[in-house]
Amino acid sequence: MALLEVKNIYKSFGGVKAIQDFSLEADAGQILGIIGPNGAGKTTIFNVISGVYPADQGTVILNGQDITKMEQYRITRLGMGRTFQNIRLFKGLTVQENVMCAFDPKSQYKILGGLLPTPRRRSEEKRGREQCMKYLEVVGMADYADERPENLSYGMQRRVEIARALMCEPKVLLLDEPAAGLNPTEVSELTELIQRISKEIGFGILLIEHRLELVMSISHLIHVQNFGKTIAVGTPAQVQHDPQVIEAYLGKEE
Amino acid sequence: MALVSNILTQVFITLISVVGVYVLTGLTGMFSLGQAAFMAIGSYASGLLVVKGGMALAPAIVLAVLMTTLVGYLVGYPVVRLRRDYISLVTLGFGEAIAALLNRMTSLTGGASGFTGIPRRTTLLLAAVSAVAAIILVAFFKTSKYGRQCIALRGDELAAKAMGINVTRVKMTAFLLSVALTAYSGCLYAFYMSYVDPSGFGWKKSADWVIMVFFGGVNSLTGSTLGAFILSALPQVLRGLQNYRYVIYAVLVLLIINFKPSGLLGEWELTPRNLARTARSLGRKFGTRKETH
Amino acid sequence: MFLGEATKQMSLQIVINGLATGSVYALIATGFALIFNILKFSNFSHGATMTAAAFTAYFLVAAKGGGLAATLLAAALAGALIALFGEFFGFRRITLKHSSPTYFFVSSITLGTLYEGLVTIRVGSNFYNFPSFFKNPTIRISGLVISTGDAMMCIISLVALILLAYVIQKTRLGRALRAVSFDRDTAQLMGINSTRIIQLTFVISGLLAGAAGTFLGIKYTLYPTLGSLVVKGFIASVIGGLGSLVGAVIGAVLLGLIETLLLSLLGSGYSTIATFGIMLVFLLVRPQGIAGSNIQEKA
Repeated sequence: MALLEVKNIYKSFGGVKAIQDFSLEADAGQILGIIGPNGAGKTTIFNVISGVYPADQGTVILNGQDITKMEQYRITRLGMGRTFQNIRLFKGLTVQENVMCAFDPKSQYKILGGLLPTPRRRSEEKRGREQCMKYLEVVGMADYADERPENLSYGMQRRVEIARALMCEPKVLLLDEPAAGLNPTEVSELTELIQRISKEIGFGILLIEHRLELVMSISHLIHVQNFGKTIAVGTPAQVQHDPQVIEAYLGKEE
Repeated sequence: MALVSNILTQVFITLISVVGVYVLTGLTGMFSLGQAAFMAIGSYASGLLVVKGGMALAPAIVLAVLMTTLVGYLVGYPVVRLRRDYISLVTLGFGEAIAALLNRMTSLTGGASGFTGIPRRTTLLLAAVSAVAAIILVAFFKTSKYGRQCIALRGDELAAKAMGINVTRVKMTAFLLSVALTAYSGCLYAFYMSYVDPSGFGWKKSADWVIMVFFGGVNSLTGSTLGAFILSALPQVLRGLQNYRYVIYAVLVLLIINFKPSGLLGEWELTPRNLARTARSLGRKFGTRKETH
Repeated sequence: MFLGEATKQMSLQIVINGLATGSVYALIATGFALIFNILKFSNFSHGATMTAAAFTAYFLVAAKGGGLAATLLAAALAGALIALFGEFFGFRRITLKHSSPTYFFVSSITLGTLYEGLVTIRVGSNFYNFPSFFKNPTIRISGLVISTGDAMMCIISLVALILLAYVIQKTRLGRALRAVSFDRDTAQLMGINSTRIIQLTFVISGLLAGAAGTFLGIKYTLYPTLGSLVVKGFIASVIGGLGSLVGAVIGAVLLGLIETLLLSLLGSGYSTIATFGIMLVFLLVRPQGIAGSNIQEKA
């Protein structure tokens, strides 16, 4: 059984069919790309998988557990991490505190520790900070722990967001257009980072991306979406030569 | 001297409520317009327990705070899971309902003419110690996992959920903490004034507290405390201007919103580290000046 | 089941009184919902706008012998001007800066405090009565007693709501208003002057507030904290579904009916509490309100 199984999901908003009959299986160590033009329903797929809203039909199974109708925060705790298309770091918190937020739900102290510096609170906070620094080092942002994210470059903010998602200790990591807004050097650094964490941590990665060079170079398998439907599934090489894909991307020759 | 002590005692009592509002509004981005009603429940409950129940002061206060927090739970339960607008609308309705109830239950509360004969037990010292304790607790809360999660969900609930934060639960925790603080402030108030009546706990008072938090800096506990201190002492000093007080407040706050939206202190907090940093930069400024002399 | 003639009369009476109360709540709730719709915040200055507008009309027109129509017109205009003032001094800058909802909230309660403070300075905490505008204070139709004020309130509110519905559904202004409330930035890109549209929305909301304030003043009395009755409009909005205009009207009428019924069963104090309890239960069972328009954060 695969780590993440998405079976025949459907989602509509009003009359717009954002996803129709989408299925996917992802295993540990695998990188799966989802590509397609704007409005193809890619982010909606992520939102359904991560529980922002439930699917109209179909099921999502994570590590053998049905998460289709589960609340978002529970899904995260079961082993799902994600980043957002338009970076969504928390304002008013430093880089380190942003990453800590993903540790806090797991932190083992109660309200008494919330109001007073109990020994339990101190040890838990210390454990959190250590993990935090570990993940910040993985993404190469440890030197910026006390900065405010809004003072950092776009590429750095992306890395912080990835560190925050890693702090959720995901079994499956969803990256929504991680290369958006990055310059070519940053893109190649990011490519390297994704490959590295995929090998080191060994979870399944789903990747939505517009930059084809990024998806093609690191994905094991690619799903191509158009108007809510899957038009092709295959290895990068297969997909690149699929006539339907070429048509969706370049338009039909009249 | 008695006048100064009187003013300070009332300021400290208000401070406890305002610190509660800081938890709710400053940290979590929720607004309660029924906050004063929780103060009313605290006042009446502790007063009744002592006067009619014959209880000692301390257990009466503990019980009153617990009861108020329970009421807060019932009011909060349906709304913390909804959009944040609901909490301000529902607490506003709650405030009106409590006022109506207090007015109505004449035999127990004395109705509109007020509840009298509460022993005067709150001293300046008790009020001051309580206020300082409340500020310290809230300062710890802010830097705990709870405070961080509050700040996270204040800005972006969806991203907070995606990080595994149980938004409903964290909101409820913040709400109940603020209710408990306000209820305690109500207890002190009752035992200071020795008289309470329903008209003093309307939405205006709740709005007043929000304005104080905002005046000093909505993102700073130090700022909120300072704001509460200035704005609650001001009308006591300028008694003659009672009617103009709200107008002056309002104009001040409108100016702040338009021209310095982060409030007097912005996000600055009074911590040893920040203090040292400010001292250093001031030292540098004045140090160079001395050298040029 | 047989309903006795007297019981039947009484329940009919309750329905009529409930509709009258509901109609003024509907004016409040729609004025509130309009602003919620376009700027996505709860305008807590709405209540004080009602009070200030009603008092303005009282002093400028009614106290000088003006009739109901002139008084209502003055109040509506005053409401519109006050709302425009609020839009400019309270909301313009934070709207343009896309500030967080916190600022809108604080701005709106500050404006409310300001208006109420100004009214208090002028009138103290006294109560004022509108002159009786009608020759016959009540109308009798086959045993039913209807206050002329209530009847006028119903009719005028209905006309106002129909006009509002027409403006929103059929006119260019209405289309622009819906576009801006759906997505302000996109509407701006499409060539809609969204600041102007927001201003106009405040004007409409202010007109409704003025009318509602006057009706409340006629039905009860005029006093500086009259505006706190706005909470009825808020409750109606919550029951109806936040941000939905149709929901606000339905919620208001329902609230008017329930309240009048409870009033006759429990008396004034407990009916307020019971109404609040009903709202809480309602939120538990159907949080999206009757109209079911659920405003979700964008993912």
